[in-house]
Amino acid sequence: MSFLNGLFGRKRDSSAELAKQRLLTVLIDDRYKLTPEMMAQMKADLAEVLKRYLPAIDAEQIEVTLSRGEAHDLLKADVPLRRAPDSHPNR
Amino acid sequence: MGRVITVTSGKGGVGKTTTTANLGTALAMRGARVAVVDADIGLRNLDVVMGLENRIVYDLVDVVEGRARLRQALIKDKRLPELCLLPAAQTRDKDAVNAQQMIDLTNQLRHDFDFVLIDSPAGIESGFRNAIAGADEVIIVTTPEVSAVRDADRIVGLVEAAEKGPPSLVINRIKPRLVSRGEMLSVEDVLELLAISLLGIVPEDETIVIATNRGEAAVYDTNSLAGRAYINIAQRLAGEDVPVMAIPDQQGMLERLLGLFGRRRT
Repeated sequence: MSFLNGLFGRKRDSSAELAKQRLLTVLIDDRYKLTPEMMAQMKADLAEVLKRYLPAIDAEQIEVTLSRGEAHDLLKADVPLRRAPDSHPNR
Repeated sequence: MGRVITVTSGKGGVGKTTTTANLGTALAMRGARVAVVDADIGLRNLDVVMGLENRIVYDLVDVVEGRARLRQALIKDKRLPELCLLPAAQTRDKDAVNAQQMIDLTNQLRHDFDFVLIDSPAGIESGFRNAIAGADEVIIVTTPEVSAVRDADRIVGLVEAAEKGPPSLVINRIKPRLVSRGEMLSVEDVLELLAISLLGIVPEDETIVIATNRGEAAVYDTNSLAGRAYINIAQRLAGEDVPVMAIPDQQGMLERLLGLFGRRRT
């Protein structure tokens, strides 16, 4: 059956898929006890430090996520940089 | 020197006692000397599941407090002479023993047995901590349900914090038809969520209810799915290089295909 599942893909709205997604979130929260407030504070702190080196950082757009990996869990920060015209390296 | 293995789960009612009884019996059927220990002080159950409730004279607390010697308290199984049960006390509570006493007890047992299987109480408190105190290895039992998986993950963290090494997982009460319809977490889902190694899987099987009613382990019925599943787990636990048992899907191929295309929104 698993090859058929692979072929057609489990529907996103199946209750098993929903259970899995809910558990992914809840297990990460249980393990690291990172409240939304702490997450926001961490983003702000990250932005402050990174700005010392990269003034083009867009603090509002930073996205920090915790995810579950095979060997270890992962803290991932996506930090978009504003592409200012005068910052082009070839100029 | 025998191996001390604790069977635990976090959530109650997922099959810890059934798993302990069946793995103990399956290992003894292979010729190993096995002691099963009921560490659920105050909620004694392993004895009735194994059909030995009428033979209890002394219990674990009697041994720990010196009223009985270990040999006096151990109850021989009805069929397998190499299988023994150390029952829990029924009239005391979990604070009647401490972690050091459990370590001393398991060290005594590992001298005389190849496997010492400890049936842990549910929860994450002192009863659970006592049950893993003397363990070399920990088996976590879960079912493919959100509450059981969440609690299992808590236990994984506590077992790792207690430096018992990475626990292994038994996924119990799998319903293959529900899994194939996408309405139950699959083995792969649970493994991805808990990220620990898989010891074995047990399908939902009425045989367990009947065997428990009779006070006989399901592994004696080698035709039953659950019986075969526990034998497979015992083989793997004993170090045999066999794959995890595949659960046959009772549904026909046509029905499955129809189910696949005709699945409705939930």
